[in-house]
Amino acid sequence: MGSILGEPAVRVDAVAKVTGAAPYAADEVIAGMTHAALTTSTIARGRITEIDVRAAEAVPGVRLVLTHRNLGDSVGEGRFLVPVYGGQFQSSFNPLASDEIRYFGQIVALTVAETPEIAEHAASLIEIRYAAEPAVIALQDTETAAVIDLVGVEAGDTAKELARADVVLDEEYETSVNHHNPIELFNVTATWSEGALEVRVPSQWVTGERYALSSVLGLSEEDVRVISPYVGGGFGCKGATLWHTVFTAEAARRLGGSVKLFVSRRQMFTIGAFRPQSRHRLRLGATEDGRFTAYEHEVLTQSSRTDVVALPGTDNTARLYAFPAIRTRESTVQTDTNTPGFMRGPLEFPELFALESGIDELAVKLGIDPVELRLRNEPDKEPVHGLPYSSRSLVECYRRGAELFGWSERDQAIGSMRSPDGELVGWGCASASYPVFEGSVCDCRITVDSAGRAVVEVAAQEIGTGTYTTLGQIGAEAIGLKMTDVSVSLGDSDLPRGLATAASSTVATIGSAVHVAGRKIRERLLSLAAAHLPGELTVEGGIVRAGNGASTSVADLVAAEPGGVLSLESRYTPPNLTPEMVKSTLEESTFNITGPIGPDHVTFSYGANFAEVRIDPITRRVRLGRMVGVFAVGKVINPRVTRSMLMGGMIWAAGHALMEKTILDRGKARFVNTDLAGYHMATSADIGEVIVETVDERDDVVNVLGAKGGVGEMGIVGMPAAIANAVHHATGIRVRRVPILVDDLV
Amino acid sequence: MRPFTYTRAETLEEAVHATRRDGSRVLAGGTTLVDLMRTDVMSPAHVVDIGRIAGLDRIEHDGPVLRFGALAKMADVAADPVVRDEYPVLAESLRRAASQQLRNMATIGGNLLQRTRCPYFRDGVSPCNKREPGSGCGAQTGPHREHAVFGGSDACIAVYPGDFGTALAAFDATVELVGVEGTRALPFSEVHTDVLDRPEVETTLRQGELITGVTIPVTPVLRRSAYIKVGDRAGYSFAIASAAVGLDIRDGVVVDARVALGGVAPRPWRSTAAEEALVGKPFSTDLAKEAGVAAFDGAEPRKDNLVKVALGKRVVEQACLTAYSRGEL
Repeated sequence: MGSILGEPAVRVDAVAKVTGAAPYAADEVIAGMTHAALTTSTIARGRITEIDVRAAEAVPGVRLVLTHRNLGDSVGEGRFLVPVYGGQFQSSFNPLASDEIRYFGQIVALTVAETPEIAEHAASLIEIRYAAEPAVIALQDTETAAVIDLVGVEAGDTAKELARADVVLDEEYETSVNHHNPIELFNVTATWSEGALEVRVPSQWVTGERYALSSVLGLSEEDVRVISPYVGGGFGCKGATLWHTVFTAEAARRLGGSVKLFVSRRQMFTIGAFRPQSRHRLRLGATEDGRFTAYEHEVLTQSSRTDVVALPGTDNTARLYAFPAIRTRESTVQTDTNTPGFMRGPLEFPELFALESGIDELAVKLGIDPVELRLRNEPDKEPVHGLPYSSRSLVECYRRGAELFGWSERDQAIGSMRSPDGELVGWGCASASYPVFEGSVCDCRITVDSAGRAVVEVAAQEIGTGTYTTLGQIGAEAIGLKMTDVSVSLGDSDLPRGLATAASSTVATIGSAVHVAGRKIRERLLSLAAAHLPGELTVEGGIVRAGNGASTSVADLVAAEPGGVLSLESRYTPPNLTPEMVKSTLEESTFNITGPIGPDHVTFSYGANFAEVRIDPITRRVRLGRMVGVFAVGKVINPRVTRSMLMGGMIWAAGHALMEKTILDRGKARFVNTDLAGYHMATSADIGEVIVETVDERDDVVNVLGAKGGVGEMGIVGMPAAIANAVHHATGIRVRRVPILVDDLV
Repeated sequence: MRPFTYTRAETLEEAVHATRRDGSRVLAGGTTLVDLMRTDVMSPAHVVDIGRIAGLDRIEHDGPVLRFGALAKMADVAADPVVRDEYPVLAESLRRAASQQLRNMATIGGNLLQRTRCPYFRDGVSPCNKREPGSGCGAQTGPHREHAVFGGSDACIAVYPGDFGTALAAFDATVELVGVEGTRALPFSEVHTDVLDRPEVETTLRQGELITGVTIPVTPVLRRSAYIKVGDRAGYSFAIASAAVGLDIRDGVVVDARVALGGVAPRPWRSTAAEEALVGKPFSTDLAKEAGVAAFDGAEPRKDNLVKVALGKRVVEQACLTAYSRGEL
């Protein structure tokens, strides 16, 4: 690989972002556009018995009030997004399809007016009466509900292996409901013109959104264009198509113009997905000398009344250590909420919180250092099918992390460590493990002009992860150009088919697609140059060189081509993708992913997390002293971007561990703290020192780049357990639920 | 948001005149009113902007009494070197409130009248006797970890969210008011009302009356003081429990003490029980602990907010220790 890969390049859009020049979806102002506002339900389950929109319609400037009464059949059915199975919608329940209410805060009307103020005011004048029925929002209240069995992993005989264990841990853990809360709120600007629809919307999946809108609105895919040049934070909530986007588009069609909808922070909590509550029953057996004998893990999460949400994370945890026997079971129950969905580390964080807390408990029982306990259970092969790991550097991560953290100074005795100013100090660790996923077929077009500059085009998205930069690096290296001579176009469904920005697969799959297209361009350039230069040729930095020192430039070679342009579009098909998957992606925009279990190996990224908490001995207020995360993610394309993403994940994890929680009103079946003052995400003041490193890791199996990825999510998955373990080390109090609040410690 | 009229007052007289009208509300920093109007919780017919009235933002600390103009920004008072160095409880209570961005906008006068963070009040749709008298109280049955353990009633258990107001409650502050009938000075302890059965009435201010400033007598307890607050995060979170404490200690004996509690009651809550537990006794770590226990004697926690009592005692204890550690200034 050339030197461009691995270069800590500054984000190409850094200045544009901090100066406000980078265009986000809501920045678009279209002459004559109208504005929409949502009205949402104030019950969680039941029916609308009366909806009176006359007062709203009577407000001067109101153009349209869309409710279940007048939506009619102009909007068809939307399919729920299930990876591999198909669909693009966050929920298959169209909230305006009928008078039925399935969750609190469900959209019941969309009001369009000449100004946002008029729309908001009119929306508040809609009079609605409901017939409410009892509703359930929390797992605690689903004891008698039918449990839907999802999947499980089985290997060996756990009953037998638990029986031979010297120590058995049997505990329950819980994670709370969380909401994504990106700073950029949901918004849509839909324009209907001459039978075609253009939609500007923050989207993690522009081609999926295009298919969803065209199918539900009865349009052809060619007549729908989805534009999303930048996304102001997605974290999983902007991947699937949301119904308010459909209603805004439908309003634009009815009014024959442009309609912009801006969703409020409060509405963000109910009109999209969220991280469901999860409960865990964990059994771990170990011998006296710290060898695991068995791992049993039952997981229960919540779904909606409409869609079955499967977030099976024990596929990941089952392969983390050398477990002689494994039995896991994942299931879900229906609740009266909107459909939960993907949120950063969706399958990994809850399960790892349980397992990595449990291992810490086991370490205490056994009197073995928790890092050492993990190292003693390092597997040669993954324990479920006995397959080799494509690469695995967890041990190196722990060695380096322990060194950076100063772990050897840890006093194992609970409550034994103090800071210079008398705070209780606790040190904890936990593993991070993230499956390497690959996306579906990905097209990429590269066009080189006569100035020797290339444009890489793919319908992928920039959601804050530096995609414009990393894909530019990959393209420049593959072609043989300077990075500054390569620009990247993203976020437009008219570009060659890209993928959803999901499952941390952008670099692995889209990066591979760009690499493959770039290599083809390079081959073309070299064959053009062969007409002028003798022998073996190389291209780097825009210059083609022969062994004898003669050279020519890419610019000159392309200038000699017809039209002065060299352009090529190629398709990358990840090797584990089946022909059926290719077909469903191309024909139905199915969200296909493969991994991490391949036919002859498994692919995971790993990391070691260390946390120091400092606890006030009187008030028991918890502060983070330090977090150290060392990760092995294969080839690192851009260390600067990688470090930021991992650090952002660790900070996110600190929030999950110590404060972040959606409060449930179980009586009313609704979310309570639906604003940023009440929903506590970590601020800078909450975060102490954060140290992030990656270890060198070579993986020749995983993909052409050797980049395992998972960088967007690795930081968050294990750190909450490390923090909980640190709290126990400081106080002796084992909190088996996140977030850990001061309530748990006083 | 509902339609409203807007008046920008250039003088106090204009402001008083404009706010006499029923349904009018004063806009100063806007950090509470604009929020609540945007979410349809408050829908005043008239908004009277006093933000540009000159001379109301002075910070004075020359005499025996500190005086902060009603339009002084929270951030400016918190950063004032004299306030910061000599009256720690005031600076700390301001600095621990809200976020820097909000403190840059929010005014001292407006902050004292900050409305509750009760989510049932703020969501605009739940039953709430404060927002819609007679509609009920969603917090009684809903999750109420954030709610009152002192002074609540069946009608309302929302807490007063302010930090600076909690500090003022402990130190005999006075609020200067101007209204149609002229000016008056009102002890800060008489500004907020008890909830009883009318939670919609929060203060004794009259229609058309404006706060022009707040004064605080300079006393030994104000100098040897501390404000301790514990919330769910380090910044921009409301107190689960907070305490403002001032101590006057002579020859090791507490001769005067002030204790007020935040985040636990519908109004700034002075704890005379804690003060009595402290006065006349030699200061010790045990005494600090006893003050905490005394402060929460008689508290009435509910199912979800036991933490307020357990934590509140510790917060008072810590505030006593911190104030004591500051020595005689």
